[in-house]
Amino acid sequence: MDMDTALLLSILAATVQSGTPILYATLGEMFTERSGVLNLGVEGMMIVGAFTAFLATHITGNPWAGVLAAGLCGGGLSLLHGVVCLIFQGNQVVSGLALTILGLGLADFLGTPYVGITTTGFQAFAVPVLADIPVLGAIFFRHDAMVYLSYLLPPLFWLFMARTRPGLALRAAGEHPAAASAAGLSPVRIRWCGIFTGGFLAGLGGAYLSLAYTHLWTNNMTSGRGWIAVALVIFAFWRPGRAVFGAYLFGGVMALQLRLQAMGANLPSSLMLMLPYALTVLVLLASSARGGGRAAPAALGVNIEPEE
Amino acid sequence: MRKSVSAMLLVAAMLLMAALTGCGEDKKPAEAPKAEQKPAAAPAPAAPAKEMQVGFVYVSPVGDVGWSWAHDQARKAVEDMDGVTTSFVESVPEGADAERVIQNMARKGFDIIFTTSFGYMDPTLKVAEQFPNITFMHCSGYKTAPNMSNYFGRMYQARYLTGMVAGAMTKSNVLGYVAAFPIPEVIRGINAYTLGVRAVNPKAEVRVVWTKTWYDPATEKEAAKSLLDVGADVIAQHQDSPGPQEAAQERGVYSVGYNSDMSHFAPKSLLTSAVWNWTPFYKDVVEKVRKGEWKSGAFWPGMETGIVGIAPYGDMVPQDVRSKVDARKAEVVAGTYKVFSGPVKDQNGAVRVPEGQVLSDQDMLGMTWFVEGVVGSTQ
Amino acid sequence: MFLPRVVKRQEPLQWGSFFIFAAALVVSLGVSCALLAVHGKPPLKALAVLWSGGFGGPFALEDTLLKSIPIFLCSLGVAVSFRMQVWNIGAEGQFALGAVGATWAVLAFPGLPMWAMMPVMFLCAAIAGGLWAAVPAVLRLRFGMNEIISTLMFNYIGILFLQFLVYGAWKDPTSFGFPMTPIFPKAALIGPIAPATLGRVHWGLAVCVGVAVLLAVFLKRTRLGFELLAGGENPRAARYARMPYNLLVLLVMTLCGALAGFAGCIETSATVNRLQPSIMVGYGYTAIVVAWLSRLRVGSIACFAFLLAGLRVGVEHLQLDLQVPAAFGGILEGMILLSVLAGQFFDRYRFTLKGRS
Repeated sequence: MDMDTALLLSILAATVQSGTPILYATLGEMFTERSGVLNLGVEGMMIVGAFTAFLATHITGNPWAGVLAAGLCGGGLSLLHGVVCLIFQGNQVVSGLALTILGLGLADFLGTPYVGITTTGFQAFAVPVLADIPVLGAIFFRHDAMVYLSYLLPPLFWLFMARTRPGLALRAAGEHPAAASAAGLSPVRIRWCGIFTGGFLAGLGGAYLSLAYTHLWTNNMTSGRGWIAVALVIFAFWRPGRAVFGAYLFGGVMALQLRLQAMGANLPSSLMLMLPYALTVLVLLASSARGGGRAAPAALGVNIEPEE
Repeated sequence: MRKSVSAMLLVAAMLLMAALTGCGEDKKPAEAPKAEQKPAAAPAPAAPAKEMQVGFVYVSPVGDVGWSWAHDQARKAVEDMDGVTTSFVESVPEGADAERVIQNMARKGFDIIFTTSFGYMDPTLKVAEQFPNITFMHCSGYKTAPNMSNYFGRMYQARYLTGMVAGAMTKSNVLGYVAAFPIPEVIRGINAYTLGVRAVNPKAEVRVVWTKTWYDPATEKEAAKSLLDVGADVIAQHQDSPGPQEAAQERGVYSVGYNSDMSHFAPKSLLTSAVWNWTPFYKDVVEKVRKGEWKSGAFWPGMETGIVGIAPYGDMVPQDVRSKVDARKAEVVAGTYKVFSGPVKDQNGAVRVPEGQVLSDQDMLGMTWFVEGVVGSTQ
Repeated sequence: MFLPRVVKRQEPLQWGSFFIFAAALVVSLGVSCALLAVHGKPPLKALAVLWSGGFGGPFALEDTLLKSIPIFLCSLGVAVSFRMQVWNIGAEGQFALGAVGATWAVLAFPGLPMWAMMPVMFLCAAIAGGLWAAVPAVLRLRFGMNEIISTLMFNYIGILFLQFLVYGAWKDPTSFGFPMTPIFPKAALIGPIAPATLGRVHWGLAVCVGVAVLLAVFLKRTRLGFELLAGGENPRAARYARMPYNLLVLLVMTLCGALAGFAGCIETSATVNRLQPSIMVGYGYTAIVVAWLSRLRVGSIACFAFLLAGLRVGVEHLQLDLQVPAAFGGILEGMILLSVLAGQFFDRYRFTLKGRS
């Protein structure tokens, strides 16, 4: 294998890795939005997930305990959004923003003593047989357990939405809560589930950063990935398949900009670092121009007023 | 309209309370504010005449095992001196917030204030002008005042030596350098490292990736990986996180640490580290201020004072490399060898330092060009 | 069973926002104090330090006032656009571009006397900030692009653009290669109003007052301003009434950008005296909190900007005295905003114990 092919393969493998945390968060936010709730607090839930994952792994020594803790705490934080929006009818946009501010503050406040410590976390391992497939093996099957876990999510997501009763109920709560209510469902209860699941997955996305991507914790380590996930939900037209594409597209750009520098591209680093954000704008522009906004759940962001 | 009125009333009420608490505060004499204060009055009869309060302003959390951590080690040593208490504020953003933090320290009656990041230069100077009786020490800048010095250490000397080790150990002749921000301090380090590399291995090149972060393990590790992907087999870094070391260890290649001895993060990969030791310098400053012997100036001590150095070699470094580097280290300490002595060419092959000359401190402090052998942008 | 039931209020709660804010403040302070206690810090002492650091005494008030100036200007713009249901969270990037615009003016015309320099600086800041905000507005109107995401991404891009300039073309040749422009000439520095009595409080405060008055007059006394308020309260009705909805959106976004640009200009000129990357400390995000807390009213914005600025200043003292991490400020801000949001429920609804009729 010559140098260029090896480099290309390593870029693609890095693409999968840096796309994974975004994929978790995107799927989580998509789930929440499908139930009709807009939660802009992804960044906050991710960072809290990243911290609690690190802390739990540091204490127990078992990274799976970290993953569980990240999911529960990410989900727990998202329940605050539920309290504000589902019980108290607060504005969903502002509540999500507040959640981001709170999450970043909490993680930073509690996490300062843990900066500079390493933990065990996940290590990469090659999947037997699959890793030996030419090209694909090198790209997809020489990662860590959380990456493999993320491969299962999009199909599961699709199956749940398209083929199961609870999935149908969730979509009803997002499209037409009044009709769902008339059919004997409780849209508010469904939305609680939607919010918690979304927070859980966002927490997992954060956990990936502190347990697999690196084995360190620091404040602000999400650096905007949560917001990119929110944008990708729109880009993906609320469909899991396109979310995979979007997340890897971003992973690819993040991996590429550093490698362009390493290859000796003589461009100012500020411009290179702009790439992922500029791409978000372009991608969103492309999908908006194609009428992506119309794919949104009809009742997205609209609170369910309490009955008189 | 009524709502704005009510909000205004609320603020008015708060201001009133503020005034009241303010009065209340005044009545209390300055009771010892620090929880961490040591049991005062050391039994030694010749106790120092004055209790000194020394403040430190850090740009990042002290736990970062990097820059601020190194300063905080020295702060702890200063705290252990007789009749000295210390306090610090971490994660202070450079700019307007820094000025307020430094000013608050000054108002609280600190005797010496160390501000340890370049971006604190203008704020430190502004506060220094308002508090002529307080001694200000600003790290890594270039401005001074009658009561404000700037100081730094000649880290590039240690960088040069670590470069020699790396240059001797590389097989691919491609070395990677994960760098934070394109400022002279970092550029100087990359240049010195490259000169060291090429002193033992003229064919080698050093590739630079900028992360624009001081402590972001995810980005920094990914940057190291990107260097590994283009064939680098030794990773050096100018960051506060051990992310690059982790990447190197995972791929089974060598790395060079910075700030502190990073060997416990990557024992199998770490060749050596370029390290800071601020303790002797800080103790000296505190002593001098106490005795009234302190004078303002620009201090740039080097390896001979121990402020910078290299950490013990990893087991993989062979004896002949060690002795070669140790010999050069002795020359640097003795002052018989200068790192930036001509001929030094820049990236484009133009001679920057002619044969027989040595780059001046002034030019080193303002370095914005890469030496020959570096691949990367200086922006 | 007599469970409490939710009933819609016939008219808004009297003095509602006052009670809600007070209650929310108590809740969030309570939660934050519990956090401190868990962390092993004395909560009551911490509150006292927070208070005296932010508001207790002339120095504290001076610091707080200075810090509230950029927050105030940013939140004015944010509030106006939020009123239109335009979720512009890009004040941070517009602030950066304002600073860039003002600096461009200074670098391009260094010799101007002060009477010419100041208007040129502010004009350039307003144009740069305004254009930076107008782009997402156009994208939304033309392509239906979600402005929350686009303005946020423009924040990241704007800040990196500022860095690009300061690390590159605008770097001061005498700064030893450090990323900053030269110190502005005297004519481009916004000075203190009265150093003897008011300390470092600078003329930026006067700009705030002027802008606030103009904005209030515009909103209350002009047709366009009236349409703006009406359009926000009921966009669909406004559209039926053939109001120029697109024009209004473009207008509020540009206005917000220009105001944030003013803030960037003032911060650069009066506080830092030059452009450098460290001027970005998140005023644009605090502005969103302020805008919502003040219920998008100009008078209240001043109060809440002052309050939150004091919180940020007080947190620094907390760190110096009790070694409480600075992130405590973020927790307080987030908690206050969440509890106010939840509390506003009682403005519209009340609980009753009566059974169903």
